[in-house]
Parts: sequence; structure tokens; C-alpha cells
Amino acid sequence: MKKRVFLIGGFSKAKALAASLIKKGYGVTVINKEPDESKMLAEAERLNVYCGDGTVPIVLENANIYGADIVIALTRNDDDNLVICQLCKKRFKVKKTVALVSDPKKVDFFYRMGIDSVVCAISAISAIIEQQAVMDEMQTLVSIGAGQIKISQIPVSPSAPAADKKLSELGFPNNVVIGCIMRGDRVVVPRGETRIHAGDILMIISADQKDIQGIKEITGNE
Amino acid sequence: MKKFKNREKESDYSIIIGCGRLGASIADNLSEKGRSVMVVDKNSEAFKRLSFGYGGLTFNGDASEIYVLNEINVEKAKSVVVATNNDNTNILIAQLIKERYNVPRVIARLYEPEKACVYEDADIMTLCPAVLSANEIKKLLNIDTVEP
Repeated sequence: MKKRVFLIGGFSKAKALAASLIKKGYGVTVINKEPDESKMLAEAERLNVYCGDGTVPIVLENANIYGADIVIALTRNDDDNLVICQLCKKRFKVKKTVALVSDPKKVDFFYRMGIDSVVCAISAISAIIEQQAVMDEMQTLVSIGAGQIKISQIPVSPSAPAADKKLSELGFPNNVVIGCIMRGDRVVVPRGETRIHAGDILMIISADQKDIQGIKEITGNE
Repeated sequence: MKKFKNREKESDYSIIIGCGRLGASIADNLSEKGRSVMVVDKNSEAFKRLSFGYGGLTFNGDASEIYVLNEINVEKAKSVVVATNNDNTNILIAQLIKERYNVPRVIARLYEPEKACVYEDADIMTLCPAVLSANEIKKLLNIDTVEP
């Protein structure tokens, strides 16, 4: 049976997300309260569209949301997204709820209110911009959990203190893990005796931006 | 003696969020009884609904913002009444106040009774005008039917 996903509110976001989820084989329903927008959304193939206010219980019930696998609240208002997710969780036994939040300060609060996943567009985008503006050599690929955990790639320069040394010989910061080493087309799983070569790219998982400083020094990116 | 009494009342600080007809009339009542009260509304025009003799405080700001709640010292309030004209806003504010500031008594107005289930586990009281009026009208109708 297809997994059932509901996208509530947010016209352009819902459109893009629906297309991608349908391609991946999910059964997608969009709930939108604007009749014009609903009509436009309904032009997409294999997409169910329901026109109504997703914060009203009867609308959710008629859209057959009970027991859905995932509900994603994409409206512009934080309060609407909170209510949508809470109704889905408490009343309609939805397995996973995801809410978009515009106020970065409310992320914690949303999690404590029982929402499974909270996405803050503002902090995500500002983190990307900051990284593009400030970082040059090092590139953050993924930020997880409101940006506390980062996966970054960092190249080893020929003049790096770490070049041609074993990992165990290097004083790595404690809160940093090397996930893998990219050497040309190959992927090397790092162990204590693995030697780092110039030109390697280290995939690094870190909790704090400060810890990366030490890595930058030994890879010659400073 | 009288002075002491006043001070005792002052510790019972109430905040009303949303200065509509309901919010303004509760604020007026509390102020008339000599209680210390503050009304918050994001539209300063709304304070015109308060009576001429209103002796409490007003604060112009959006109470769904955390910095506004900090500024009005929500944590010092004994009771908070959330009565904006939007159910979803009321739900967010009431839960925010209960969760972050642990105010002993939080009361929220809810137009849509079906939404009350989101408050289930939270220690928040809800009032639904439609349900209250329906009950009152039922009483009136009962009296009418008994008479003849």
C-alpha cells in the first residue's frame, strides 16, 4: 500500500514538494483553502487536491486524513501550522507530523508540543548564506536538527600538516568525527592506521563550528 | 489597613491578551474591582474599547512573539486570559504561556469547539461561546416549554 502524505497550505512549496513525492511513489493529497490555487494545483497528474481550511477538524476529516503516514504543514502562519499538526497527531492519529516555522525562537516549543519534525526556513537559509559568505575552502553539505549537527567536506592541501600522516598520529578535536575519506573515485573508511594524502577530501561530522577550526589547521586550510 | 489590602490584591496580577469585546470587558471588570491587570493587543486602536475609567495597563504588541511575552513579564501573572479573534493564535499563545512560563491559570477562548482536543493534556481551560450560548438558550427554551 502506498504511503499517504498530506501537504497543507503553501502553494508553491506544496506544488514542488508534491511533484517530488509523487515521483518517489507516495500517495499525495494537498489541502489548500484558496479555490484558485486549488484549481491550479489540481492540474498536476496523480495529485489529490482538497479545497478547505486545514485548521478546521471537519475539513481534515473529509479529506480522509485519519491514520495518514505523514502530514506536512506549510502555511505562512506559525499558529496555523501548530494547530494543524496537533489536530493531526491527537485527533487523527497521523504517524508523523512536520511543521514549517517562520520564527526561529519557536522551534523548541514546537518540538515540545509533540510535533515530530520542525523546519525553520529562516534559520536554514541564513545558515546557507552565512556559509557561502564566510567559508571558502570548507563546504557544509547538510545541517541536521536546526543546524546543531553539520556534515561538511574539507580538502587536504599539499602543505597540510596532516598530509601523509596516520589518523592516529593527529590530534583530532574530540567533538569531530571523520565519516569517510574521498580519494579520487574511491571511498576510504577511516581507521586509526589510515594515512591521509594531499588531495583527499574528508567528510566531517561535527557538533560545533568551533571544533572545525582545529581540522582546518591540520588540513592546511588556514 | 486599607493600603495593606491593596498590596495583597496587587500580587494577583492578570493579563488579558486580545482587547476585543470580551477582552476589554474582562479587563474593565478586573480594573473596577481594583485588581492589577494588563491588556495586550497588537492594534493600539483596540484599546479604545476599554471604558473611560479603566485603571490598568495596556501594552501594544503581538503576544505570539516570545520577546513580547518576556517584556510584559508573563511569568509574574497569576492568570492569563487569551481572547484574540483567531482560534489558532489563541491555541499557540495559551500553550506557549503554559509551557514556557508556567502561569498557574491559563484560560483560552475558542470559537470552534472541535479544536478543544489539542488542549487535552495541557492544563489550560477553554471557553467556547457557541457552547455557552447554546446551553443558555436551551435553559430559556425549557422554561418556555414548562410554562403552558
